[in-house]
Amino acid sequence: MTTSTLTKTDRTDRQPPAWTKMLDLSDRALAVLLLAPAAILLSLIIVYPVMRLIYTSFFSLSLTSGLPAEFVGIENYQLMIEDPVFWETTWNTVLITLITVPGALFVGLGLALLANIPFRRQWPVRLSLLIPWALPLSFAGLIFAWFFHSEYGVVNDVLSRFGIEGVIWFNSPNLAFAAICLTIVWKTSSFMALIILAGLQTIPRSLYEAADVDGAGRIRQFFEITLPLLKPAIVVALIFRTITALQTFDIPYMMTGGGPGTSTATLAMYIHQNTVSFLDLGYGSALAVVMFALSMCVTAVYLRIIRTKE
Amino acid sequence: MSQVIASGANSFLSGKPLRFIAATILLVNGMFPALWILFTSLKTEAELTQKPITWLPHTPTLANYMQAFSDQPLHMFLFNSFMVAILSTCLTLLVSVLAAYALARLNLKYRGLILSLIIAVSTFPLVTLLVPLFEIMRALNLLNTWVALILPYTVLSLPVCTLMLVSFFEGIPRDLENAAMIDGCTRMGALFKVVVPLCAPGVFTAGILAFVNAWDEFLLALSFNSNPGLRTLPVGIQLYQGEFAFPWPVISAALVVGIVPVAILIVIFQERVVSGLTAGGIKG
Repeated sequence: MTTSTLTKTDRTDRQPPAWTKMLDLSDRALAVLLLAPAAILLSLIIVYPVMRLIYTSFFSLSLTSGLPAEFVGIENYQLMIEDPVFWETTWNTVLITLITVPGALFVGLGLALLANIPFRRQWPVRLSLLIPWALPLSFAGLIFAWFFHSEYGVVNDVLSRFGIEGVIWFNSPNLAFAAICLTIVWKTSSFMALIILAGLQTIPRSLYEAADVDGAGRIRQFFEITLPLLKPAIVVALIFRTITALQTFDIPYMMTGGGPGTSTATLAMYIHQNTVSFLDLGYGSALAVVMFALSMCVTAVYLRIIRTKE
Repeated sequence: MSQVIASGANSFLSGKPLRFIAATILLVNGMFPALWILFTSLKTEAELTQKPITWLPHTPTLANYMQAFSDQPLHMFLFNSFMVAILSTCLTLLVSVLAAYALARLNLKYRGLILSLIIAVSTFPLVTLLVPLFEIMRALNLLNTWVALILPYTVLSLPVCTLMLVSFFEGIPRDLENAAMIDGCTRMGALFKVVVPLCAPGVFTAGILAFVNAWDEFLLALSFNSNPGLRTLPVGIQLYQGEFAFPWPVISAALVVGIVPVAILIVIFQERVVSGLTAGGIKG
């Protein structure tokens, strides 16, 4: 069901018969009552915290110093601009997004095309796409940390079978970063595949038959029928993936803890460190405002795409 | 119908050997990491530190599982994860059923606006609210309680569940409700006695998604509950690492214990989960 059909439903058929008013609350009172719990929860967990976040980012508030909050204007933001770790973690986050989102898309597309083959039994295929999705991110991080273990890891074992000497993955910033990206792609591509697969299964066969008659090859059919028809599903999945990629925390936290140094730390990890370890709430808030702004940009693009579709 | 929509895109791949290769790729990609951790959990420390490494365990042992439960309160981690996930799922479902009913059935003036807001919230990065949520939970004295996690987890799944349920509710004919109301049901009575039971598969699917979301969450659980007795599984599993030692077989055993409940859920309800996920993903 798409939102476009949701909002386009004829308004007149939603008008309740007059007698319900006598039996029950008026529509408006009922609507307020029904939406109130959601509104209260969202206000408490999202709206108020967002305002509080922006407010706190203009204060110097460190729980370790024991001093009361002091208004410092944009000092936290000035500190941030001069903070190399802020730039490094932001760059890492952007890089992870730029690598793993297209990575998950391509791997997911490949898996979906394979899963779309008419197998006699569907459930093993379905399960093999669902398990990576259902596995907690933090578990995936630990499992792959073990995969990439320098001594007893299966990755180095396989490499050595091909005559390649194993490497110490987590000692080198680049290799550690590559291992993290690979893990994220593995973890997120199967969700992408499920979305794409659902899209593939709604493409009518007759389109391909018509293309066969016209003499279009398989590759041309893929680019001219399959991909354009999959585009809406792919765009939505990409936006969700982009926003979650900007929040990357669990996998690098579990695999490297951000190391060596801060070479694989993400912005979310830096926010967590400043907030929970250093209890520097003012600076942590300023960092979070940056991440908030980043993801709001992506959300704005998303809402715009949805609106143009309607 | 299935013949009509069966895709022709891959028919050139449908030869038997190619089908076998495709199935192997899919299965290895999906299952290998989980299987490998299962094998690791069954190996002895001695076998694990032997080179070249063994793939299948030579002398399978359950000792690591015993140790996983005795080294750390793994049963408490499981219990906490389970309770937090179940309670937040119930709360999510209750709140989203009410909201979705209003959006699907009542003639709301700002319906479009509310739906857009819900979609915007569905992409909200909860990570950014770490500081204010931390402050709120501290002010309300909720740090180190289940509630500190249940409330954010509910909000995490609320938008997707609401959107899913709106589309399910719109598929239920209005006449059934009207009939119930003529028979003397109130509107809320009709909602819970007629609409929700008819939408049970949809409500159930939304519940599974909410459960998995809550079961997987790590950052907030790590930040809000430092009390060992209140740690959830993803947070608790870290405690197995000593300062220098990293007891992989024991950690693997704990991981397997943590994977099994969700795996069971997925195996039993796989079709439903897929339909729920893809309905959520294609929405918009």
